Amino acid sequence: MTPTPAAPTTPARNWRKLRPVLWLVLAFGLLDCAARWTAPVWERHSPDDYAARVEGCRREPRDFILVGGSPVSEGFDPDAMTGLAWQGVPLANGYAVGLPGGTLTDIAVAVRHAAPTPPRLVIYGASATDVNDARNEPHGPYSLYDAADVAQVCRTRADVRVWTVRRYAEGRFRRVSAIYRHRHGLKMAAADALEAQSPGACPQAAKEAIGLRDYADALRVGRGYAPAAWFADARYDLRKAAAAPFAPFDFLDKYRTGSHWRYFAALREWCAGRGVALVVVEMPVTADLEAKYPGPTAEFRALLDMLPADGIPVLRARREALNLTDADYADTIHLNRAGAAKLSAWTRDAVNALPHAGGGAR
Amino acid sequence: MIFASKSFLVFLAVVLVLYHGLGRRDHRYRVLLLASWLFYAVVPPHYWPVIFALTLIDYVAGLRIDRAQDERGRRRWLGASIAANLGLLIGFKYTPFAYENAVTLAGLLGVPLSPATLSIVLPLGISYHTFQGISYTVDVYRRQIPAVTSFTDYALFVSFFPQLAAGPIVRAVDFLPQMAAPPTVTRAQIADGIVLFAGGLVKKLLIADPLDQLVVGPVFADPFAFTDAAHRWAVVGWAVQIYCDFSGYTDMARGVSKWFGFELPENFRLPYLATSIADFWRRWHLSLSAWLRDYVYFPMGGSRGGELRTAFNLLTLFVLCGLWHGAAWNWLAYGLFNGVLMVLHRGYDRAVTGRPAWDALRGTVGWALVAWAATALQFLVGLIMIRTSDWSGGVRLTQSLLGQSFEPTAVALTTPVPPPVAVLIACGLAGHAVELVRRAGVPVPAAWPEPVRVVAAAAAFATVIVFAPGVSKTFLYVQF
Repeated sequence: MTPTPAAPTTPARNWRKLRPVLWLVLAFGLLDCAARWTAPVWERHSPDDYAARVEGCRREPRDFILVGGSPVSEGFDPDAMTGLAWQGVPLANGYAVGLPGGTLTDIAVAVRHAAPTPPRLVIYGASATDVNDARNEPHGPYSLYDAADVAQVCRTRADVRVWTVRRYAEGRFRRVSAIYRHRHGLKMAAADALEAQSPGACPQAAKEAIGLRDYADALRVGRGYAPAAWFADARYDLRKAAAAPFAPFDFLDKYRTGSHWRYFAALREWCAGRGVALVVVEMPVTADLEAKYPGPTAEFRALLDMLPADGIPVLRARREALNLTDADYADTIHLNRAGAAKLSAWTRDAVNALPHAGGGAR
Repeated sequence: MIFASKSFLVFLAVVLVLYHGLGRRDHRYRVLLLASWLFYAVVPPHYWPVIFALTLIDYVAGLRIDRAQDERGRRRWLGASIAANLGLLIGFKYTPFAYENAVTLAGLLGVPLSPATLSIVLPLGISYHTFQGISYTVDVYRRQIPAVTSFTDYALFVSFFPQLAAGPIVRAVDFLPQMAAPPTVTRAQIADGIVLFAGGLVKKLLIADPLDQLVVGPVFADPFAFTDAAHRWAVVGWAVQIYCDFSGYTDMARGVSKWFGFELPENFRLPYLATSIADFWRRWHLSLSAWLRDYVYFPMGGSRGGELRTAFNLLTLFVLCGLWHGAAWNWLAYGLFNGVLMVLHRGYDRAVTGRPAWDALRGTVGWALVAWAATALQFLVGLIMIRTSDWSGGVRLTQSLLGQSFEPTAVALTTPVPPPVAVLIACGLAGHAVELVRRAGVPVPAAWPEPVRVVAAAAAFATVIVFAPGVSKTFLYVQF
């Protein structure tokens, strides 16, 4: 076979040839637009809980905000903190921005976005897991960060510069197509509709869809306390006694601190710059978790011990102080509904008992 | 890298842009060859040298056969090519199986042999690659095609990435003429490629994988835990799964090839409409059937040597066909089963054909239905053989298929079968249903207008994005 040049083609003919591709892009684009216009329906069936909590908080000016990781989302009920006051002013309107899996970096970013009108008080429910540099939560860059946040992370935390830029870029890329972005919501909505139309067709998926819808509704109209039924009603003591299987917990493995912790300074500066008081609550965990991770627990507490010297009040919400037992937990780290009620009431009283200018650790 | 993955789509986009961006034939083919080798070398990279060595051997053998002065020399080089291809195929694919059985046999004879199992990972697509290599050198030997002088051209023919992993098995006589000049991609090819690729994705990700997850996998893993009704659903589901999985791959391979301007052969012609086992094999995995016919069956004498000889040839052909799929007893049994059925069908067909009463009966719709049902039963039993993990489970599934009732020993599935299974099966057989409607005289267009087909493909892509499981299972035929 002798080499021969490719058949000559004119540009116009080439473009005409690509008409099927044009049809494809056009049709997909229209479908995508339809998915974008109806996004609230799909978001309701598969909420992006980071974005939903930030949006929920932003909806109106708040008197106080509770922030932290999943121990905060499951452990603080703003409605149970009625009577909270700061500098003699009652704080009636609060919101819990608990980010499941979130790190201190994500938490500090979330505060910035969640409070366009600065609240009077920010209560940070701190957990040892928030500051473990061995872990980073991709959902933060995907869902919460904007370009300025990414730039700040790159400046502040050189160790995760590439990781953050990559996750952020992936998150932006996913948003290019509404169908891709809302694919889980679309699937859940379809399962819900199919099950309603033909009971028994997909019961498990429909159950998941209904659970997610309820969660989305609770986040939209409530104050950020929207525990899953599993967390709210479960009891760690009973599950332990029944030798129930627990999901592997590796959030404190390979524990090291320093990088995430830099974002505590960012949180403090944000508060100071807006005249917002900042109080830190050391979140209570089970004795089992403390026994399994004595090193991380001690390292984390040592970090908190430094804060009062900088004028940041630290409330030690230890089990003994709150009279928490394993019956108040859903698993080793998350409180159930009863535990959340105890912690919320205790925090309210502890904050109220603080000198108005702050400064003393309990 | 599998077709139904994001990494493949990125890879494909880059290769298409590079390929069509280059003007010169040799540049284009070099890019396509490098892309094909990259596609092959991604997982696992250490087998690329095997494919390269085979390519080189067959290329040289082709040239030597073409240039040999005497028949003896031509035969010697053909033999070298076949030995190299079959040697590697046997070495990689059948050595562990042979050793395992040698250990068992030695144990029975009281001779201790180390039971250490040989773990040899099969190079991706080696069964397809070796068959294409053999077909090339045989075709050159038969003077059906001239030997390819350009190594790039030959290497691209055997390594063209859309069909590298799971076929269809492309014959040199069909593919090489297309390579004379880089084929110009037509608008129809672009549209057909889009439709085929979208259809293949739907078959694989929305029908085959969910069927496996919902019913086929659980039931075949433990048949005794399920009812006889669940067995029947699982067996039919398995038939639809394997068809959608393999034909989905072929559709995608053909679609992608069209975007480069190449045409690959069809591999399926609505196989589940077959009304005899011979008809089934004329509709299922056509490229393999044709290869075995032309390079094994005919050289053995085909049907020219009397009834006994033909029966032997058919049995040999189908045993080889079974073993080509996999080195295991169930594949051997599958081949033998089909061989016996073919021999029996041939005997029956020869006995009744030409008798007016029989011919009249066989021309009726009722007889067609009976023949279809009997054929379906035959290939379903065959499919049980290749999926079952143990013989007792296979027997139980076959008994259920034949109408026996069983109570499960443990209730793994509270309802007989999840309702979407029936919908998935119906969707998987939709093409067959359309053909039946057409045969009934309803005017169904052979091809819808291009915009309609492409818009339907866009909807299919959107549906795949939404409903496909996060991680696709490996294509079944890639494992062969």
